[in-house]
Amino acid sequence: MSRTAFVAALAAFALGAPLLAQNKPAFEQPILITSAGQSADGQLAAVLAKKAELKADLVKMAAAKDLAGHKTLVLVLGASMKGLGAAGLDTAKEKDRIKGLLAAAKAQFIPVLCLHLGGEARRGELTDAMVAEYLPSAKMAIVVKSGDKDGLFTRIAKDKGVSLIEVDKTLDAVPPLKAAFAK
Amino acid sequence: MKGHATAVVLAAALAAAAPGPQVPSVGKPPHRPPADKHIPFNYTSKNGMVVAAHPLAAEAGLAMLQAGGNAVDAAVAAAFALNAAEPFASGIGGGGFMVIYRARDKKTTVINFREKAPAAAAPSLFAEKGDAAEEWKSERGTAVGVPGMPAGWDYALRRYGTKTLAQAAARAVEIAEQGFPVSATFSTIDKDEYEKLLKNAGETTCYLNQGVPYEPGDVFRNPDLAKTLRLIGRKGIAEFYTGSIAPKIVAAVREKGGIMTLEDLAAYGPEEVEPLRGTYKGFEILTVPPPASGGLHIIQLLGALENWPVRAWGAESPAYIHHAAEAMRFIFADHARYLADPDFRSIPLARLLSKDYSRSIAAKVADDRIAGEYPFTVFDAAKDKRENTTHLAVADKDGNIVALTQSINDFFGCGIVPEGTGFLLNDHMRDFDTDPQSPNAPAPGRRPVSSMGPLIMTKDGAPYLVLGSPGGLRIFPSLAQIIVNIVDFGMNLDEAIEAPRFFASSGNGKAHPLVVETRIPEAVRKDLEKLGHALTLKEDYDKYFGGAQGLMFLRDKGLILGGADSRRDGVGAGY
Repeated sequence: MSRTAFVAALAAFALGAPLLAQNKPAFEQPILITSAGQSADGQLAAVLAKKAELKADLVKMAAAKDLAGHKTLVLVLGASMKGLGAAGLDTAKEKDRIKGLLAAAKAQFIPVLCLHLGGEARRGELTDAMVAEYLPSAKMAIVVKSGDKDGLFTRIAKDKGVSLIEVDKTLDAVPPLKAAFAK
Repeated sequence: MKGHATAVVLAAALAAAAPGPQVPSVGKPPHRPPADKHIPFNYTSKNGMVVAAHPLAAEAGLAMLQAGGNAVDAAVAAAFALNAAEPFASGIGGGGFMVIYRARDKKTTVINFREKAPAAAAPSLFAEKGDAAEEWKSERGTAVGVPGMPAGWDYALRRYGTKTLAQAAARAVEIAEQGFPVSATFSTIDKDEYEKLLKNAGETTCYLNQGVPYEPGDVFRNPDLAKTLRLIGRKGIAEFYTGSIAPKIVAAVREKGGIMTLEDLAAYGPEEVEPLRGTYKGFEILTVPPPASGGLHIIQLLGALENWPVRAWGAESPAYIHHAAEAMRFIFADHARYLADPDFRSIPLARLLSKDYSRSIAAKVADDRIAGEYPFTVFDAAKDKRENTTHLAVADKDGNIVALTQSINDFFGCGIVPEGTGFLLNDHMRDFDTDPQSPNAPAPGRRPVSSMGPLIMTKDGAPYLVLGSPGGLRIFPSLAQIIVNIVDFGMNLDEAIEAPRFFASSGNGKAHPLVVETRIPEAVRKDLEKLGHALTLKEDYDKYFGGAQGLMFLRDKGLILGGADSRRDGVGAGY
């Protein structure tokens, strides 16, 4: 990590730490990771979790039954038409899947942590709709800053009481992710 | 429209890139391209010009010209540099087509270095994979065709160049060793292809930054590629096809379920062929013949357009877009019915290229509605999202010209990197049809049909326009539109390249949606819908439509213009 990036990540973590303490997200392992929108960012989240030394399972098409044995749901917000096509899904089916998953997580008192790793390039109509619909279900979100240039994440997080941590680059998400699961 | 800049503008393009290590520039630019890269800008020079999809490649080509190399030397130097600087689009693991115009004898020729299927490739190779066929065609070892790039570059240098392979590769070696800050384009593509890279190249590959995609401004270095290119430069292409690199390629391919052998690599050879010729409103078009389809279809589409009052209709008019789109849909019927490797199947080229045949296409197009039925088309638009490949063009002080389109097919190819080599292998076997009965089914030594269409357009026997683009099956519609923009609508070169684009295709006998950039006005789009076109909207400037590069010769002014597509990172450099 460059010095600038490290400082940015540290600052982001410092800003996020009080929120963590305040809201006590109390995320626990093992983690179920799934993508909302079937972009490659789901795979990216799994690699970041590995770097953060977290016990995580990536299930691209996770359904309610996949929550069994997991204590946190990490939902990676970022839609890809290519990814949806490869998964044989249309937008409606993907939304139904996520809706069902979130409802099951809520019923089982499994907290949700949202990640947005794709930045500005991953934003778009479908991603934005998913952010608006699913971010309020999260206790916390870690977002690559360029994805929040227009303040979409900040606005929703503020309105819905979601702890928001912004990082400059993808790799900078590792420290706050690790911290979120620290005992 | 901006005025023409003079002299070298490369440094400006580099300055516009994200911060990072200082990259040597070539001279002080008195005029710079606009900060908004979409504003049309014609690079201008008097002696020589290179246009390429990355500033470092344009610089490498220009440096070769200034060192006394001819257009072929500069094209190969730029092509090598693209392997280092734009590795996701082309490289020594791929193949391509080069059109060369030699001023001395006014000879135009084509070098075909398209990949070939391994000897063990049966027509049922992919059909027998069932639902997993697409994966085996694009991300497994069976996706890899025998690479033609090193052999093609080497042939071009030996036959038409003046420099050695080592001299042509030298700048690429430096770029790979020193690194450069990645652009937003590189970063976006790296993110899009992340899963493939992770799966096939692994978390430690140089194509990922500590296991994650590069962000704009991150420095990308590829020391393994530098070593490989240096080795090929020193020992020649035999090192690639029969020497120390060959077993690494075969091992990597076979480890992922592929069928390539050392014998396949040893047997590879490029070929030199006559260009395909056609005309449009007094201009002659010289382009690549099959197994490339782009050249043939450009001539067919322009031939159909000659039958309508395109100029009177105007650019972005519903009538022009409707008629062109319908012609494209009928041409897709020919693509499915006839296109194949000509070494294995006869193609009725004379008939398909004739003006009578173009008239017959035009006659099928109704003024007031889409036809709805397009016999013989089997094209699956859903599987053709590809924006890959790269194109460059060079002109030297003696009037020699090169138009070169090269590719590893999908961005980052199949994602497989032979151990320790730093280069990506192609997935051009994907360009074969899965259907074993198709004329374009896999077969031993067969070359898959390509969409490429690099071309040189002449007026009264003298080169006027050099053009080419990546973009899969959008190549022929995009290049034809650029030519119409220039010839009929009076646009200058880069205006023609940057103008809004559209694309239409057909499959299973039916119309696919008309795909348009959103800059095409809403009122026009509504009129098109009234004619029966379903529309799919793309971005304002979408790389879905390719990334064309071109040269234009203004002989009365003694100038060469260069146009580079802002849909990718194209730039020009001249002197």
